[in-house]
Amino acid sequence: MALSLPRMLPVSTTDGELIQRAAGGDRSAFELLYQRYARPVFGLALRRLGDRGRAEDAVQETFASIWRSAGTYRPDRGPGAPWLYAVARNAIVDRARNRTEIPADIPDEPAREAGPSELAEQGWVSWRVHRALEELNEREREVISLAYWSGLSQSEVAEFLDIPLGTVKTRTRAALAHLAEILGDEFE
Amino acid sequence: MSFDDIIGTEGLSSDEEAKLRRVHELLVAAGPPPDLSPDLSLPPVPTDEADPPEVAFLLRRRRGRALVLALAATLTAFVGGYAFGHSKGKPSAFTSIRTVAMHGTTSSASHGVINIAEKDSVGNWPMQVEVSGLPEQERSSYYELWLTHNGKAVAPCGSFRVNAKTTRVRLTVPYALKNFDGWVVTSQGPGRDGLGPVVLTT
Repeated sequence: MALSLPRMLPVSTTDGELIQRAAGGDRSAFELLYQRYARPVFGLALRRLGDRGRAEDAVQETFASIWRSAGTYRPDRGPGAPWLYAVARNAIVDRARNRTEIPADIPDEPAREAGPSELAEQGWVSWRVHRALEELNEREREVISLAYWSGLSQSEVAEFLDIPLGTVKTRTRAALAHLAEILGDEFE
Repeated sequence: MSFDDIIGTEGLSSDEEAKLRRVHELLVAAGPPPDLSPDLSLPPVPTDEADPPEVAFLLRRRRGRALVLALAATLTAFVGGYAFGHSKGKPSAFTSIRTVAMHGTTSSASHGVINIAEKDSVGNWPMQVEVSGLPEQERSSYYELWLTHNGKAVAPCGSFRVNAKTTRVRLTVPYALKNFDGWVVTSQGPGRDGLGPVVLTT
């Protein structure tokens, strides 16, 4: 977790409100946006660029772009998350274009990797989910992380956290329910 | 791991199960969020609020822009150093990548700013702390800057005295700043065990 910043703004402040405040030069709003979106932007950049150093640069450029162009955000055209996603995607695409690669041999068979639309869909899903994870409290994030990405079974998670298996399951369910609430529009 | 392994269906209504299954699928599709490297622990910030946005950010590994910023920083350091040198008799050059504002806990007249420079090669964070409006203390007393965790002062960052309306000091801390959630300044004095009262806070 990054250095926590002075939280003078309520946690409930929407992304759109933060973008508008940043447009007016409010640095604390910009910093709160960074707290919420640094990880999703980094995840998106890593997915597209496949290199941590270049992805880090893309994060810096994305937030520089957000600061510069926050004034172009129009709340009547939609919430803040898709606008931020578009800014991030553009910064990352720009960085990918700058890449100079020697073309490989032309393959004989069509690529089996996901196409542009699938990549865009995967990117958006990760963006929304990683952003939603930032909203969970530490305990909820911990149990989700252990259950899904640690490779531990739920019994091993219980042992690791030194709590009963039933409590692990209850916590995991509660965390998923909280995520469902945050990801409300994903269900529409 | 499957939904049944992680969540199970026991005791869930069909609506609840469907909702949790959807979240489960999204989590699996999204994959784990990446760990942020220390370089990303702080947001990019304008080096000078008065600068136009086009040159406001210090971007890493962008040599062209870095050159412009280096020239600007040199000019700022020269002008700032000249002005500060003439006002205080000591030159000053400090390139901040991050600024944290502090406010008084007992008096609205007291406030402070912590300017944090780029971490050095061995992991120290140079800081320039500027405080105003704090009362001058008796000779054996001093102020101390702390990093906080869960609102509690846990890591001392250096002590200083004030003898003017505005006092500027340079401190260096070796901590991983990402592990802390704020800063406070306490007033320390003789005969006072432990932490003194907080006079400035973020």
